[in-house]
Amino acid sequence: RRGCDPGAWPRAAMEASELWVGFVGAGRMAGGLVRGLLQAGKVPASNVLASAPSDKNLDAWRELGCRTTHCNLEVVHRSTLVFLATKPHILPGVLEEIRPAVGSHHIVVSLVAGVTIQTLQRLLPPWTKVLRIMPNLPCVVQAGAMVFSRGTNAGDEEAALLQSLLSSCGLCEEVPESYIDIHTGLSGSGVAYVYLFAEALAEGAVKMGMPGALASRIAAQTLLGAAKMLLETGEHPAKLRGDVCTPGGTTIYALHQLEKGALRATVMDAVEAATNRACDMAKD
Amino acid sequence: AGVLAAHKITASSPDTDLPTVSGLRKMGVNFTVSNKDTVKSSDVLFLAVKPPIIPFILEEVGPDIEARHIVVSCAAGVTISSIEKKLSTFCPTPKVIRCMTNTPVIVREGATVYATGTHADVEDGKLLEQLMASVGFCTEVEEDLIDAVTGLSGSGPAYAFTALDALADGGVKMGLPRRLAVRLGAQALLGAAKMLLESEQHPGQLKDNVCSPGGATIHALHFLESGGFRSLLINAVEASCIRTRELQHLADQEKISPAAIKKTLLDKVKLESPSLSVASASKVSLFTSKSKKN
Repeated sequence: RRGCDPGAWPRAAMEASELWVGFVGAGRMAGGLVRGLLQAGKVPASNVLASAPSDKNLDAWRELGCRTTHCNLEVVHRSTLVFLATKPHILPGVLEEIRPAVGSHHIVVSLVAGVTIQTLQRLLPPWTKVLRIMPNLPCVVQAGAMVFSRGTNAGDEEAALLQSLLSSCGLCEEVPESYIDIHTGLSGSGVAYVYLFAEALAEGAVKMGMPGALASRIAAQTLLGAAKMLLETGEHPAKLRGDVCTPGGTTIYALHQLEKGALRATVMDAVEAATNRACDMAKD
Repeated sequence: AGVLAAHKITASSPDTDLPTVSGLRKMGVNFTVSNKDTVKSSDVLFLAVKPPIIPFILEEVGPDIEARHIVVSCAAGVTISSIEKKLSTFCPTPKVIRCMTNTPVIVREGATVYATGTHADVEDGKLLEQLMASVGFCTEVEEDLIDAVTGLSGSGPAYAFTALDALADGGVKMGLPRRLAVRLGAQALLGAAKMLLESEQHPGQLKDNVCSPGGATIHALHFLESGGFRSLLINAVEASCIRTRELQHLADQEKISPAAIKKTLLDKVKLESPSLSVASASKVSLFTSKSKKN
């Protein structure tokens, strides 16, 4: 925040072919998004400006060709599309800081978990175009699942812009804000459930005599392959499951074990618990 | 189903007091206490006795089995080879078909499978299929699948009755009168089964179609999953199938002695072969139902 001189910066231009993108906060999630954008050629790296309190995260951004700063206000001044990617407890202070610089030309997109559009709009000028997005970790490898909702002043143009930009990071869909906590339970946290499942699969294989490293790679590839088939065939998972089950074969024996363990109900419980927790945290 | 005229059917039982007996008589079926008479007046012979009794029946009627006879056994766990072996002492090439059906044949919604024996021709199988298709679904299978069929559709109606009883309890708990609850529960299962049979869709998809987001049904399903509903059903089919195999194994060893058969039953039988103590059919199969439709 030291050495911020608003008079020193040119106003960000909103030329048709040039979009100036800013990131307030440069952590892992923001990093994932920017990688996706750059890889897909949506935005040249030189048009990206990211701010963070320390250089720890910013080194990686510079390596990508992005510009960096320690000044949040600079990001707002020099960008039209501003991603808010701070930790939840930091955000209110940051919003207070940047508020004076936010204009009606800005598009503010919050990645911050648990902070509602209502809160964002309360802490920003009334003319601000606000959108809220919930990404998930695999955005980092451009296989993310993201949902977003629009605030009062965000229109079709802003939604379409966001959708078009972020499709480079994976699946990106607009939803009512009430779905965002559910998305957290399903896919935000869901990634961890998959890691747990992959670990358990591999452990089963190790128990049966396979080396761990190989088992882990195969487990991951199995999940990847199955997910790919689901997405590409569009078939119901129950149908795909049935297709794998030869009568009296290995798969149906294994599935019986999973059913005995009430895996389905447990997974439903997990999604429910994470969703409820997201709701509760948002209220704080 | 109108497939067979009643007077062409003969049934025998030692016990003439059974309610099934009077029911058959009213339908115009010929009734006798002599198994031998039944065999003599039939071309297709359904053996509908309890599995342990089968060996004794075969001993009794074996001499009367001719080349024209098609012997159809509905006895759970009794193999074609065991029947053929027993009959081969009397007839060189007995035509044997093994079938597994279920109680809803009574309302012409049965589920029947059959496997043909060594000397049964394709036409013999087709004849049986034609008969049984008139009372529901009927298809040919390999004999080694029949135990699994027993576990699934043989015992299946019992699982359904249990489910319906419980569903009705749920309805009553939430305020419905019992009769209405039973009626609605049964209709719900009937309708769901019909949808599945008439649809190309996977049952999982049909389930999804009923579950609106955050709605009543998905909440209920979560309870079912938590209780291990699916695995219970898998367990049930497995248990029934395994038990069928156990019973078959016991039967193969012919562990049931005449002494195990109810003495009162033996008393009622007029023995045609004095050298054997035999108890005849303790129940009679219904070949056609009291059809409510034309």
